[in-house]
Amino acid sequence: MTNTASQTGSSFAAKDVPSPLMRQTLLDRELIRPLDRPVIPLLPWLNVVVIGGRSITDKGRDAVLPVVEELRAALPEQRMLILTGPGVQARHVLGVGLDLGLPTGVLASLVSSEAEQNGHLIAALLAEQGVSYLSRATIAHQLAVHLSASRAAVSNGFPPYGLYELPPEVGKIPPHRTDTGAFLLADAYGAARTIYVKDVDGVFTNDPATAEGRSPELIARMGVAELMAMDLEALPIDALVLELMAHAKHQKEIQIVNGRTPGNITNALRGEHVGTIIHAD
Amino acid sequence: MARHGVPVVGGSTFGALPLSLAECGAVIFSGMPPYDMWQRVPTEGVIPPYRTDAGCYLVAEVYGCRNMIFVKDEDGLYTANPKTDPSAELIPKITVDELIARDLPDLVIERPVLELMRRARHVKSVEVINGLRPGLLRRALAGEHVGTIITAA
Repeated sequence: MTNTASQTGSSFAAKDVPSPLMRQTLLDRELIRPLDRPVIPLLPWLNVVVIGGRSITDKGRDAVLPVVEELRAALPEQRMLILTGPGVQARHVLGVGLDLGLPTGVLASLVSSEAEQNGHLIAALLAEQGVSYLSRATIAHQLAVHLSASRAAVSNGFPPYGLYELPPEVGKIPPHRTDTGAFLLADAYGAARTIYVKDVDGVFTNDPATAEGRSPELIARMGVAELMAMDLEALPIDALVLELMAHAKHQKEIQIVNGRTPGNITNALRGEHVGTIIHAD
Repeated sequence: MARHGVPVVGGSTFGALPLSLAECGAVIFSGMPPYDMWQRVPTEGVIPPYRTDAGCYLVAEVYGCRNMIFVKDEDGLYTANPKTDPSAELIPKITVDELIARDLPDLVIERPVLELMRRARHVKSVEVINGLRPGLLRRALAGEHVGTIITAA
């Protein structure tokens, strides 16, 4: 072996497969731009429904069963991917993990397994209709066949970032959580809509749960930039979703609905405007 | 590497990483982060922005590793892509801020790594070396500066 720098320039070229990006680092902006094409939506009929952990599942029977009944009733007319968040278990394990000085990647793995539990919980309630819990690997690669066999599937809303979670700018709490994971997945599949099922009517001008003496107003529809400029104390979804909407390929809108109000999920699935719709600018 | 007992770890088997390191001193893992269908889309285009450089860096950071060495087919970071631009000059050492300020059209390392380095708690420098030159990896592992060192500050 007599490898030298000069060899790197010529003889290794014989192993190149001719392509527009041959011998490129994939980092040169000018070379990549002309290859870009509009992104095709893979599952344009898919409804992504996100069941809040803290807002719905944690509240038990009174909150969960009506939501599940609405989803069950929607099965004949809708095809759904139901995703769950972790709720109170996440707060607990994060608290312990932070106290122990664990890094973000480990915390992300821990919280993710808590979100999975809630997925199994919802799937058990819909099992009779052929709705199963699917692992994220299955969701990423075999969702199409599963949704050909069944009208809906349930999975973990947390993205599978695990040890590879990106450390946040401040602190150590994993930035990619349920709301973000669901949004990224919905966008990758080019889903028809993303509906976040929470326990509030939508986004308010100030948090209805904590506002004292002020009259909170429901925001029916608003663009991302305007909403971010309001710098609200409390948003019912993770702010990272708003940031990601700017570059999303398909998900130009998200909808936040109150799952405690009967009919909301059904109406949102039918494309009606209930709750708050946030749209890309 | 199998004859030396070096296993591949990934997913849930990452948990066995400490065991394998104690047993044989090395493991192999996929540098590509497991973001899959959850990969963040870039500002422009569709090429996943977090690829093997970012993935390896994140694993190094989460375990608080001593060294993060990227073994490439160039002597380090250049002012342009040396494969296509003969006027490209090697940069032996640079900070993340300087590198971002230069806004080079091409880079030997994925741009998101630079942003991640700014948030680093443990891995505050990385080195890019030429794996086609015998002996460099051994020297880099021994702490010698043999390629381009990029530092967080």
